[in-house]
Amino acid sequence: MTDAKQELITLPQILSIPQRFATGPIMGRFLRELRDNKRIMANVCPKCGRFQLPAREVCAICRVPVTDFVEVGPEGVIQSFDLVYYASPDPLTGKARKAPYTTTNVLLDGVKGEDTLWHLLNETDPKKIKRGMRVRAVFNEVRTGSMHDIKYFEII
Amino acid sequence: MKHRNVGIIGVGQTVHSSHREDVNQPELIHEAVTAALADAGMTMADVDCVVHGNMELFEMIHQPDMWHVIGDGAYGKPGIRVTTGGTTGATLVCAADALVASGLHDIVLAIGFEKLQEGHTTGGITNMADPLWGREIQTGALTGMTADAMIEEFGEERAKKAAMKHRVIMDKHAMKNPYAHRRFGFTDEMIPAMIANTPPLVGDLTIVHMCSQSDGACAMIFAAEHVVKKLGKKAAWIQDHVTVHREETFNLFGNHTEVSTMRYAATKLFGRNGITDPRKQIGVFEMYDPSSWWGLDWTREFLLLSGDEHLKMVENGDIGIDGSFPINPSGGVVASNPIGATAMVRVAEAALQIRGLAGERQVKRDFDLALASGFGGTLWTVLVLLAKNPPVSEEAQS
Repeated sequence: MTDAKQELITLPQILSIPQRFATGPIMGRFLRELRDNKRIMANVCPKCGRFQLPAREVCAICRVPVTDFVEVGPEGVIQSFDLVYYASPDPLTGKARKAPYTTTNVLLDGVKGEDTLWHLLNETDPKKIKRGMRVRAVFNEVRTGSMHDIKYFEII
Repeated sequence: MKHRNVGIIGVGQTVHSSHREDVNQPELIHEAVTAALADAGMTMADVDCVVHGNMELFEMIHQPDMWHVIGDGAYGKPGIRVTTGGTTGATLVCAADALVASGLHDIVLAIGFEKLQEGHTTGGITNMADPLWGREIQTGALTGMTADAMIEEFGEERAKKAAMKHRVIMDKHAMKNPYAHRRFGFTDEMIPAMIANTPPLVGDLTIVHMCSQSDGACAMIFAAEHVVKKLGKKAAWIQDHVTVHREETFNLFGNHTEVSTMRYAATKLFGRNGITDPRKQIGVFEMYDPSSWWGLDWTREFLLLSGDEHLKMVENGDIGIDGSFPINPSGGVVASNPIGATAMVRVAEAALQIRGLAGERQVKRDFDLALASGFGGTLWTVLVLLAKNPPVSEEAQS
């Protein structure tokens, strides 16, 4: 058992692994549209008609492949938001995020169903953010085929 | 109907803490296993199979069940590893139950563990998000959305008071639990100051509402009915359990029509066990409450309530250990949260309540049923019902 006088040694380590994830044809199409055309494309279940954002290979409810895409947004309504004060680490960089920042679930114009687009909102004043506010997607000048081809949403 | 009944006859847990640098991982697990074996009055020689569970992404130790053999006693025994996120501990119980009920093994040891101080809890949970979409946005399990919705539904003053009172009740319970991590000594008089002064994490979710990041382990021994009878042990019987998953996305907040997994699980579990009035028929509920906001909101869901009944239960102190429907006499997850063990601790604490072994945190009234829940994933639920008396089984009938 531990001696009260014994020094307790801990070994600090930092893990860093380069990774590369395949996106597949459905998510790949979604990301390509963001990169090449600045378009947000939901895919639509052929059976129940719900829109999926981000696009997913099948409708989990109907269990059928979902291959048809429809453009939605780029404007929509804040369905919910999280104003984050806690500076947690970004798992993609290992660095602490700059807080505060706001994440939001946006119900984009044209979407049928429950899927919102989950992204950042460029507003951190709680008095200036309300559910139901209209927002629009702002795209980055340099786009690489990732969700961050959308820079953030801004309040209109 | 079950093939064979399964009784919980051993429970062991470590003191949950943010400061367990005095032991490494196998040593921490060893403490819980030793305590569970002592409770069951047996040794590792009696155990047929070991089920191990935690979440690798917190400590980044891969194949932990292999590295932990030195502490968990699994050497030379069949084993299974379970890792279902926050629900891991409850899934461990479901797995052990299945292994014994099926007739495959007579005595199973299940272990849930986490040393959250060896990794980063929120960073780890963020890394669980879809690699193609979400890791850049997610902030672990932290969200103010439930607080926001409750403030809109019940008004800021009432919602904030109820959530903080919930937190104070949990702390009063934790003060009775020698294994609890966070034991502050909160009183009702502190509520206004706590609302005004606690630093926010996300929106109106503050650091005091949110669960802890703990080091800890829990071990439980599951035995077939004939073993329980032979040993003459007092058991908590596994009456039933339900696992409910939800779509793998966290963005279904649009035109909201979905029934929560909590309400869905409770409806199913109560329906097939003849529970029409859960607050009368069930004696105690150990709920996986990741925050006081969720603990408060989910009370309405799990108990199939409507309107503000769940707020009244907190405001009137009904959920207190001496109230009409005690919730989390252990102090709950807001007091102790070694994640891979957390959902198992809920079942373990419910089992101690059924067996009358919960010490100072024992609910005084007599009751036949106890409920325990697990939470994880994209709002997944596991709900476990324990009974004082063995249910009807195929084996008992034959």
